[in-house]
Amino acid sequence: MATPGRAGRVTTISCGDYVVGAAVNGRLFAVALGDGTVHLIDSETFDAEPVKVEAHNGAALCLAADIDKGAFLSGGEDGKLVRIAPASSKEVIVETKGKWVEHVTAHAGAGVRVYSSGKDAFILSKKTKEPRKISHATSVGGLAINPKGKRLAATHYNGVSLWWLAAQDGQPTVLEWKGSHLQVAWSPDGDYVLTAMQENALHGWRLSDGEHMRMSGYAAKVRALAFTRRGHFLATGGSEQVICWPFTGGGPMGKAPSEFGGAGGPPVTAVAANPLHDVIAAGFENGTLILGQPGPGGTALIQKATGNGITSMAWNPDGDRLIAGTEGGDVHLVDFRLA
Amino acid sequence: MNAQSQIPVTVLTGYLGAGKTTLLNRVLTENHGKKYAVIVNEFGEIGIDNDLVVGADEEVFEMNNGCICCTVRGDLIRIIGSLLKRKDKFDAILVETTGLADPAPVAQTFFTDDDVKRKTKLDSIVTVVDAKHIEQRLADSAEAEEQIAFADIVLLNKTDLVTPEALKKIEARVRALNPFAQIHHTARCDIALDKILDKGAFDLNRALELDPCFLHGHAHDPSHDHSHDHDHHGHEHGHGHHHDHAAPSAIHDEDIRSISLSTDKPLNAAKFDTWINDVLMGMGQDILRTKGILNMAGQDNRYVFQAVHMVSEGQFTGAWPAKDKRRSRLVFIGRKLDEAALTAGFNASIA
Repeated sequence: MATPGRAGRVTTISCGDYVVGAAVNGRLFAVALGDGTVHLIDSETFDAEPVKVEAHNGAALCLAADIDKGAFLSGGEDGKLVRIAPASSKEVIVETKGKWVEHVTAHAGAGVRVYSSGKDAFILSKKTKEPRKISHATSVGGLAINPKGKRLAATHYNGVSLWWLAAQDGQPTVLEWKGSHLQVAWSPDGDYVLTAMQENALHGWRLSDGEHMRMSGYAAKVRALAFTRRGHFLATGGSEQVICWPFTGGGPMGKAPSEFGGAGGPPVTAVAANPLHDVIAAGFENGTLILGQPGPGGTALIQKATGNGITSMAWNPDGDRLIAGTEGGDVHLVDFRLA
Repeated sequence: MNAQSQIPVTVLTGYLGAGKTTLLNRVLTENHGKKYAVIVNEFGEIGIDNDLVVGADEEVFEMNNGCICCTVRGDLIRIIGSLLKRKDKFDAILVETTGLADPAPVAQTFFTDDDVKRKTKLDSIVTVVDAKHIEQRLADSAEAEEQIAFADIVLLNKTDLVTPEALKKIEARVRALNPFAQIHHTARCDIALDKILDKGAFDLNRALELDPCFLHGHAHDPSHDHSHDHDHHGHEHGHGHHHDHAAPSAIHDEDIRSISLSTDKPLNAAKFDTWINDVLMGMGQDILRTKGILNMAGQDNRYVFQAVHMVSEGQFTGAWPAKDKRRSRLVFIGRKLDEAALTAGFNASIA
């Protein structure tokens, strides 16, 4: 079990190029790289050589778990959306000409996949044959499906569009706020939508009453945001410490955030909330990897600074194994199980 | 990241039909031993097989709630962010803008976004000008004027379609808009690529390489005389046709102009700093570009200053060459410039 008191055993492997994204699906982890490859890593046999799939011609840009067990979706500069299945097979699902596939997400329960290319996003549902195209005035900066698998949030300039996934047409609900919105997250209860902005700030909306929240004071772009498993905190990057906004008792409005880790160092570039325990893994621009929690729980150092910034992380469903990808192509495999 | 690993970015502007595509095709097809990532505004006419040609929608937005100097190209931030994940795979980035684009948001992107700033450096803004049609363009579009005013390098193209007299007049017109740009004459964008790429126009340490005349204090601007700028009129000097001083031409458009200020007396660095900040904060919306090489009292090194609208940077670079008389020179390019006020402010910074 992962607790701040136990640092875990780290094995570092080199996958060769910038790690664009990390994801987990069942016992399999995957990382997508700047050289267009996707590497599959079996969490049961961390020591085994990863399976390498030549997914894209050009860089991979995004990665997500697919709707069925052990499979992943990656998008790339070659305009392809590729499905990578357990036996390391590769299937091109979509091919667009001259456009990048920049974002992808999927919801297993709803059987829905969504990807975006420029201003357009496409909803591919198990139930319908034809993909549904949804358009925005400016390019999509991030995608997230709500926990229930009913609604999609797509960020763009000046706000977020919320689309009903099951509908075949209709207009989105647009949450407006001036500026460029990038990464997006839903709270576990589905009532809050939070975006990381181009500015060093977060913006949020409470859907039940339309209340806005603006969180600023970051030293760098926030880029990384993750709700803890029960939604008590939103952990964020962009600061030298892991900034955790409280979402209990009416939300973070007017409240100070809790912090942990770091002090006077480089900013946090990746965060991942453990699926079973109230702890958060955080990676820094200098390659440091820590585990901690808001409040007095303390912080454990997993990996000392390597100079190789952490770009992305994923926990396995049991919450006892973690992978962290880096700018230089190293991937840290962290095992918190008792030896 | 040090300056060594920053990838140079050249911005290519120019009105529709001026010859940008011709130039881009040359960069993509010529055997220059370098690999470029080219960001174009639309696919179609250029470089079919080059997988590093990326299409961009010119998506401009205002950061920080509408601050004009924070108007940036969000699409470039995204595209460059992704390109940089393919490390060491290309030597430089070329950004083509549409014929109607304002170059400011492109330039400001490279000073505003932290990631872009850390990993790339703006090398220069190259503007291709159609010599045959420029008079008409300047008469009917603000963009053509802005693109020249913003340029570090102007390619006066299609020179074979105009008479030498007309060309001289056009060059004077370009000079009046932009006293510090290097001007090259071409017929079909036939220019050695090292004249337009990797020029370091925004590198304060290299600012002097671009235009030796700038340092010498010879005003390029044939249409504006300044009382304090009294010792160089009528000088001819041997820097080739690029720097010939044309006779004052009739400038009808009051839109964009340039003002050159200079003095032999050393400036007080603190006073200058306060003044230039006030000027850019107050009028930066109308001032497109500012460049200066300044002699600060008590300093052996030259102070080099440059700004795009309100986004400015300045630093002491190398020592004044012994043979050079120390002389401060500052050039503003913009609209509604109050020459009397700028002159008075500049003179008030004299130590």
